[in-house]
Amino acid sequence: MTVQESKKERKGALSADGLRIVVFALFAGSWQFFAARMENMLIPTFTEMVGGFVQLVVISGRIWEPLYISNQALVLGYLFSIVVAIPLGLAAGRVRWIDKLLNPYIGVLLAIPVAPLIPIVITALGLGLTSRVVIVFLFAFIFITVNTRAGVRNVDPGLIEMAKSFGANERQIWRRIVIPGAVPGIFVGLRIGLARAIAGMVIVELLLVASGLGRLLLEFAGRLQADFVFATVLVVILEALLLLNAMRLVEQRVAPWAHDISVE
Amino acid sequence: MIQVRGLSKEFAGRDGTDTGIVALGSLDFDVRDNEFLTVIGPSGCGKTTLLRIVAGLIPYDRGEVSINGVPVTGPGPDRAVVFQNFALMPWADVLTNVSFGLEIRGMPKAECEATAMGLVKLVGLEGFERRLPKELSGGMQQRVGLARALAVNPRILLMDEPFGSLDEQTRRLLQEQLLRIWEQERKTVIFITHSMEEAVLLGDRVMLMTPRPGRVKEIINVSLKRPRGQETEKSATFIEIKEYLWENLRSMQVA
Repeated sequence: MTVQESKKERKGALSADGLRIVVFALFAGSWQFFAARMENMLIPTFTEMVGGFVQLVVISGRIWEPLYISNQALVLGYLFSIVVAIPLGLAAGRVRWIDKLLNPYIGVLLAIPVAPLIPIVITALGLGLTSRVVIVFLFAFIFITVNTRAGVRNVDPGLIEMAKSFGANERQIWRRIVIPGAVPGIFVGLRIGLARAIAGMVIVELLLVASGLGRLLLEFAGRLQADFVFATVLVVILEALLLLNAMRLVEQRVAPWAHDISVE
Repeated sequence: MIQVRGLSKEFAGRDGTDTGIVALGSLDFDVRDNEFLTVIGPSGCGKTTLLRIVAGLIPYDRGEVSINGVPVTGPGPDRAVVFQNFALMPWADVLTNVSFGLEIRGMPKAECEATAMGLVKLVGLEGFERRLPKELSGGMQQRVGLARALAVNPRILLMDEPFGSLDEQTRRLLQEQLLRIWEQERKTVIFITHSMEEAVLLGDRVMLMTPRPGRVKEIINVSLKRPRGQETEKSATFIEIKEYLWENLRSMQVA
């Protein structure tokens, strides 16, 4: 390639980050501008939100205990959903009669909005950690299941035939072809499941079980402290970004071969 | 070595109401020890089905398929397949892919890798053993497939249009390489192809199949001297047999 073209290519790589900063600055800037003009008590300016964030995280440290409480439900519920969903998805993907058996239930579970189920769960299991864990589980697990199943279905049947031609038994086919082949799909499910689990973690606290971050949000909203409300939301967003990013790194180590069809 | 008598195979219709496809009529042929048999026929004549039956991957309805008298009931250590679409595990490097058959058969990992390395060198991929398939060209990937099949030291090599998805230049290079490797140790080979040149260049005999339901139309002796190479294609015998094949194939193509 010519010197000009390679210069352009390098410039393109640099300004990916530059572009991100520019977009973010535009976003923050326009938010600040419109919020300041509106003088609405319920919409803080960008700087007010950042101020609230610093206050909650660093100065008073009020965010940490509720964060810990909420995350208990997240960790337990999410892990529990992985343990249930992945084997279920693997089985449904590979064994036809299991898939046929589960299909109607999977369809229903995908369609049901989980939020209306929260009162039912609370009535059955009370207001404690158990209910929150169950809700997080319900938010997440079906998505992990269907994506795991899709991952299995996307395994090249030619590979399975190849394995059989070398005399592989079913267990070997699972271990050496199906599971490695399904890993990219599983990770898609894990990512979606994580996002859903985080949403579930907060929603249950908002709706009924007033503990942790949800309780904090309700408290700040009740006192019309919009800056703290937004700051708390920011904390949740940052946590989600952190976790999703960590998962992406794990995926790159575990499954570097996953196809990427996006254009440069 | 391989005996096929009265082989028939039918595939059921999709919803049970329409009648199925008879893929193979009544097939009768032998493959001799250490023979390179190429199989050619119009599209849909059942060549691939035949290969998969001999490989033990699909069952057959009627007739007999036996290897040295033992009927074929499933895959076995005496046979290995090279696939048209390579069938390489995209998550594993070249060495792991080549060792696959050996590992399945229970060989300890270190030994597998040593054996596999020998084959990586044989097919000319030394230096690429840690690469992933996506980093290789089509021709290189198929060489991995060939190495993998040879690694388990089968008596019979079953090749399903192995060079079909490669460009002509790569195909010619791989044909030469295959011939060279085969000359060293003459395994029994069944090689399916669409190309008349390939069928005549590689085969000791060429089996010509009829359109569906596939039967053996004719088995043609290729009396060209070995080792074969570029010069072979210029010989009169080569051109004659090639033309003969095309005449037959052309007349068999429906419409």
